Amino acid sequence: MSGPLLQATGVQVQIGEARILHHADLTVSRGELVAVVGPNGAGKSTLARAVAGMQKLAGGEVRWDGEELKKLRGRRLALLRAFVPQRPRVPEGIDVRQAVEIGRSPHIKPLARPTSKDRAAVERSLERAGATELAERRLHTLSGGELQRVQVAVALAQEAPALIADEPTAHLDLGASATLAKLLRSLADEGLAVVLVVHDLALAAAIADRVVVVSDGRTVADGPAEDVLDRRTLRDVWHVEAGLEADHHGHTALRVDWLGAPRHELATKETLT
Amino acid sequence: MSAASSSPTSAPAAAAPASKPAAAAPRGGARGRGGARQATVVLLGIVALVGGIAASMTLGAVHVPLADVWDSLTGQAEEGPLKKIILDLRLPRTVDAIVVGAALGVAGALLQGALGNPLASPDVIGVTAGAGFGAVLILLVFPSSIALLPLGALLFGSIAAVIVFGIAWTGANAGSIGRLILAGIAVQAMFGALTTSIMVAFSDRVQSAVFWLAGGLTSEGWAEMEVAWPYFLVGAIVAAVLIRPLDRLALGDEVAESLGARPRMIRLGAAVAAALLASAAAALAGLLTFLGLVVPHVVRLAGGSHSHRFVVPTSAIFGAALLLLGDTLARVAFAPIELPVGPFMVILGVPLFLWLLRRAV
Repeated sequence: MSGPLLQATGVQVQIGEARILHHADLTVSRGELVAVVGPNGAGKSTLARAVAGMQKLAGGEVRWDGEELKKLRGRRLALLRAFVPQRPRVPEGIDVRQAVEIGRSPHIKPLARPTSKDRAAVERSLERAGATELAERRLHTLSGGELQRVQVAVALAQEAPALIADEPTAHLDLGASATLAKLLRSLADEGLAVVLVVHDLALAAAIADRVVVVSDGRTVADGPAEDVLDRRTLRDVWHVEAGLEADHHGHTALRVDWLGAPRHELATKETLT
Repeated sequence: MSAASSSPTSAPAAAAPASKPAAAAPRGGARGRGGARQATVVLLGIVALVGGIAASMTLGAVHVPLADVWDSLTGQAEEGPLKKIILDLRLPRTVDAIVVGAALGVAGALLQGALGNPLASPDVIGVTAGAGFGAVLILLVFPSSIALLPLGALLFGSIAAVIVFGIAWTGANAGSIGRLILAGIAVQAMFGALTTSIMVAFSDRVQSAVFWLAGGLTSEGWAEMEVAWPYFLVGAIVAAVLIRPLDRLALGDEVAESLGARPRMIRLGAAVAAALLASAAAALAGLLTFLGLVVPHVVRLAGGSHSHRFVVPTSAIFGAALLLLGDTLARVAFAPIELPVGPFMVILGVPLFLWLLRRAV
């Protein structure tokens, strides 16, 4: 049980002719929240999918709990990690509880019926994700934020020790993003290993134990947000003049020079006023 | 994992709702209502099926009382023309109607579930057009080998499916739903054109193919079923195995993969089972395409559930009941003229379906 739950080294992914990931490393331990950040098209989501066993590897090695990913299939893999997709399918005719029951399916043997233990796990997952009041609602009547909480509940019903979320806040407003961020942080505090692919650097800095930066198919930095997301990295990777401000109580802000005006001009104006 | 202690000092954890004593309480109500509604639908289907069996066995050119039917089936009746009608004509036809109706209902339910597309039916994967071509080929070009008709329908239905799956499940982006549907429509067009060409070339014999193309059951004993039963059996077994995996596709492929399922394999399995069932159905009863499209929709609308545990078996019951009742009505309504059940069911079914659609969607 010692060592990280997920250990991925030198991961490479090729889709058709295009090499999406050249060399990516990612580790996460139980109780740890790791944010994977990077520009659009850098390979963040591909990395998340690759370590989850949902994308064929062209090279490198992924181990879950010491066991090689290649050897893990179907239910065994499903009991190690759950994946929350960016844009889930929202079918008609399914209510929230039924959706979460689908998340429980790796625990139910073929041709068997859900037991009272399974039903209890579904209720627990709904409650943990703050979705109990939504249980009777149809999926297609939910707002974006509610839908993502339900997705987390679906993943929790899997009762895997790791949860990988691919940009769950991408289409959410500020309040819904904050709710989801709090939820993911508290899940990590309770012992889950959480990998969060996210665009919002301020959010990542506020809730992540470590931040992994992906750029052009490579992981280029890994560490606490205040060390990793410095001015130079923001300039090199995102091509923007920006600075991260953070205290240790979950307050963060990103000061961005949106219009790309040379810094000395900004300083001049400030001194003038 | 759930047993892991949440430290009281972690502020975010406290943000979760503290207690929900009623968490388990609302289950009973909602689930119970949904379950009762589905049970009612299944029960209605079974009643219709039993009624259909009784009607199909007793009604026709000769009316045979139910008691006599029972005696013939249980071997208590004396030999005679009545017993012959029951055992050699009505029984095979009734069994054919049950099996074909059930197969088409299940084929439609499998395809609609696997492709996540409400328009999916055996037409869409080219099977119907392939089977139609195989049958017309035998009927028009080799009329002396009429016994090969079910085999021809089965063979070309399967060939059409193999072409479509071969194109849809190879290369990059294998298993894409868009590619499957487009390949299916193209293959359907090709076999449709081939069928039309044969009909033009052998226009003097077209008469014999019309009844088959319209879709309808015949009273020709067990010969066709003897050829087709392995297809029905394998299709039914694959369908039963796929019921739970299909439910895992409901939230999209990524969630399915998260749950350890393999969406592309599930889709391929469902499409193969549907192809087997639909081409075997075509071999027995011609082109009854409407049934496969409509029955699963009726079942979902009536039961208010999209779970395949409910939709697949209930579609089998409803498909069988519908075809039985339709076939009996087609035989009896304008007796002694026998209407082909295919167009007859469509004409009766479409207004009903449209009414249901307006109410529910």
